Amino acid sequence: MVFQNWLKDKSKIILFDGGMGSEIFKRGIKPGKLPDTLNIEKPELIYEIHKAYYDAGADMCQSNTFGASLLNLQIYKVENQIKEINERALENIKRACPSGRLLVGDIGPSGEFRPPVGKATSDKWVSSFTKQAQILESGVDLWHIETISDIEEMSAAIEAIKNISKKPIISSMTYKKTKRGFFTIMGDSVEKCVRIQEDADVDVIGANCTLGSEDMVNLVKELVTLTDRPLSAKPNAGQPRVDVNKNIHYDQPIEDFAKDIREIIQLGAKIVGGCCGTSPDTIHEIRKIIDSR
Amino acid sequence: MAHEQFYKEISDAIVNLDKEKAIELANRAVNENMNLLEVIESGYGDGIRRIGDLWEEGEFFLPELMLGGTIMQESMNVLLPKLKSSGKNISLGTVVIATIEGDIHSIGKTIVGTMLSANGFEVYDLGADVPAEHIIEIAIEKNADVIGVSALLTTTMFGQKKIIDILEEKGIRNKFKVIIGGAPVTKSWTEECHADGFASSAVEAVKLVKDLLNK
Repeated sequence: MVFQNWLKDKSKIILFDGGMGSEIFKRGIKPGKLPDTLNIEKPELIYEIHKAYYDAGADMCQSNTFGASLLNLQIYKVENQIKEINERALENIKRACPSGRLLVGDIGPSGEFRPPVGKATSDKWVSSFTKQAQILESGVDLWHIETISDIEEMSAAIEAIKNISKKPIISSMTYKKTKRGFFTIMGDSVEKCVRIQEDADVDVIGANCTLGSEDMVNLVKELVTLTDRPLSAKPNAGQPRVDVNKNIHYDQPIEDFAKDIREIIQLGAKIVGGCCGTSPDTIHEIRKIIDSR
Repeated sequence: MAHEQFYKEISDAIVNLDKEKAIELANRAVNENMNLLEVIESGYGDGIRRIGDLWEEGEFFLPELMLGGTIMQESMNVLLPKLKSSGKNISLGTVVIATIEGDIHSIGKTIVGTMLSANGFEVYDLGADVPAEHIIEIAIEKNADVIGVSALLTTTMFGQKKIIDILEEKGIRNKFKVIIGGAPVTKSWTEECHADGFASSAVEAVKLVKDLLNK
């Protein structure tokens, strides 16, 4: 109910957390490993990242379960650990979540595309997401389905969650900028995605990842004309750069990111946060913006 | 002129993602004893390049790219056996090619593989999202001269270096020429991971492999 009340409260801007993967890499874990298995192998590290985001002022943070759907775990050949990975993820974030703040169940892409790109089907997606959601349901306050680049996969994830849960859903697609405007990599327009998300009756419509904060401003401009639902935006901190030591850097200054978030709020977004390359410092900076409104 | 019209028909069939037409034209080229190298380069190659341009323009997306690649590959299945049996194309060398683990982008790699086949190399295309260890295993098994590794993401291009690291560890680095490719690959990255070369187009890749093998 807390989340629904926040949505109804016209003056409330909800602050979400920032990137998980980039924070993990900062702590010495090399890219290539599935971050979700760290819930078991390095629970302290995951707990610390969640805690840092809550301490920075996030109203809600999401579980480290982006890649812990059945299909994605199969790709990494750890599907037999689905229960433990998701349960441990809940333990790690629960421990970090102060009272009065919320815990969001994170559902990321399955890693399997539909034909002609891959072999996934809607049924396969639904059963994969259902399996994950069933494990997370008892511990989360709401859901964030995110970084989905195929509206058909998003529909499957929404269906899976609605089958087993009555909790609110934030449905967040990832768009790329093309010469013809914003589209998913599968070719879905923003308009088409919004229509399908509205029909599926999600609580919040959002966008995250792929786009930096500057492009996200323009995407939000488009989103506000297409829907009256609350909007969520979690952009990347610019584009990644790889150095000679295989480290990935996001060079965008926090002030620039925060300036764009300020504009995104002014445009009407209800939920703001960050994706890849953003950190607890970024979230702290946005907290200041929200509190000074 | 007649040939140019025919090549354009092929190119259009690829861009229109018309599989039946593309394969029918491949059969016609075989039956009419056309210059198949030219058919591939000016017809099919042109079509697939136009698909790449349409992706750049935001007209085509992942499904179109993948479908285009598949149609190209199936057309090649018609053309390549004939090209090989014609005798003028005794294998110039063996190439094992793949897109590295974690990366599903296969179009560029497929084009390079196809062009290498068309130019007389024996090519084993292992597909996309292939672990480094598996690529090396097949390269050893097929006694390959060249290993080609594609990566389209900054996060997966480390896999290209992993191939070379493993070859060095095993003490078999000098058995293979390793070439890398993909959008984020640069000359400095090539030097950094001690690869033998990189190419930014399929045509360049063919030239590179020929140079490396002194053909």
